[in-house]
Amino acid sequence: MTRPPLVVVLVAVLVLALGETGGAVMSRLRPQIERYAAARVAANPRAHGLAGSAEYDDEVRDRAVYAVEAGLSFFHTHGEGMGLVLFFAATLVASVVPGRRARGGLYALLTAGALFPLGYAVYAGAVLELGREAGIALAERWVLTALGSAAILGLAGLAVAIATARDRA
Amino acid sequence: MSRPIADRAGPTDPATAWRLPPRWVLLVAVLLIACAEVGGASMARFKVELTRWARSVALDRPAVHGLVGVRDVDERILDEMLVKFDAGLRLFHMHAEGMGLVILATTTVAATLVRAAGARRALILLLTAGGAGYPLGYLVWSWLIPYHGIERGKAIAEWLVWIPFGGAAIAALWGLAIVVAARVAGR
Repeated sequence: MTRPPLVVVLVAVLVLALGETGGAVMSRLRPQIERYAAARVAANPRAHGLAGSAEYDDEVRDRAVYAVEAGLSFFHTHGEGMGLVLFFAATLVASVVPGRRARGGLYALLTAGALFPLGYAVYAGAVLELGREAGIALAERWVLTALGSAAILGLAGLAVAIATARDRA
Repeated sequence: MSRPIADRAGPTDPATAWRLPPRWVLLVAVLLIACAEVGGASMARFKVELTRWARSVALDRPAVHGLVGVRDVDERILDEMLVKFDAGLRLFHMHAEGMGLVILATTTVAATLVRAAGARRALILLLTAGGAGYPLGYLVWSWLIPYHGIERGKAIAEWLVWIPFGGAAIAALWGLAIVVAARVAGR
């Protein structure tokens, strides 16, 4: 099998390393992360719609902290997964796709798609600063949808290339 | 039967070809994936037996789990213990499948792109040992839960398996990233 360009390999390894490190940090520092998230919610009362009622505010804070933990957890799992997707898919592109431009386009789409997990880090941060609904909407609209679409287009392009590739003589 | 697709760069172009890691690494990765599959299947097939075993071991150790002899209270504690026991097995299944593939991908990168033989061997060893050992920590945790409780079981698994093996895998991955970055920079 042919190796893809070094930049693509580097992004795959970095995404894997970030995914693994994110999982370890989450596991070791869970109480600190929860405390930090709760403090940020308290520091942004308007964004989170805190009303001054302890019972209601506790529920809002718990939901926001849960969303932050979910974002970090998705960052970990998607980082591991998308690093591997980029590694194996880019190897297939390097091996079977003829034409420098077509390969370049597919590398660009797949590499952008591999950055998709970063959207979940944005998701976690945006929930804290903008509130749960607005933070999730921002991450989905501007990061997750764009990078996820790049991954899907890259994989679809690779599938077309494999389907139309010439057989070995 | 359809014929294989031709490799664009040709089958023996050494300048752009991936180099395979040593055979023992491939074996470890494949065995880890196989263990994950068997683990997932066993969890589903022997769910009742596993639950019965964990419950009976926990009931033999009431002090460890804080069982007080009141059915309503004890059942809640046992339910929580069984949820964590099951979660440990599921996490083993998922992590072993994932880390098997991570070992295959990262050791291939190391075998191909790390020029210094000593560094290459060290990275491959750390990636393989760390990647294969880490998921076993979830199995150890599950096994320890009925004997030592959720938190103490987690602490033992953490110091015995997750920190040394997970730490090795993470350190090796960042080491590999630095080597590849240096190659990109042309050094």
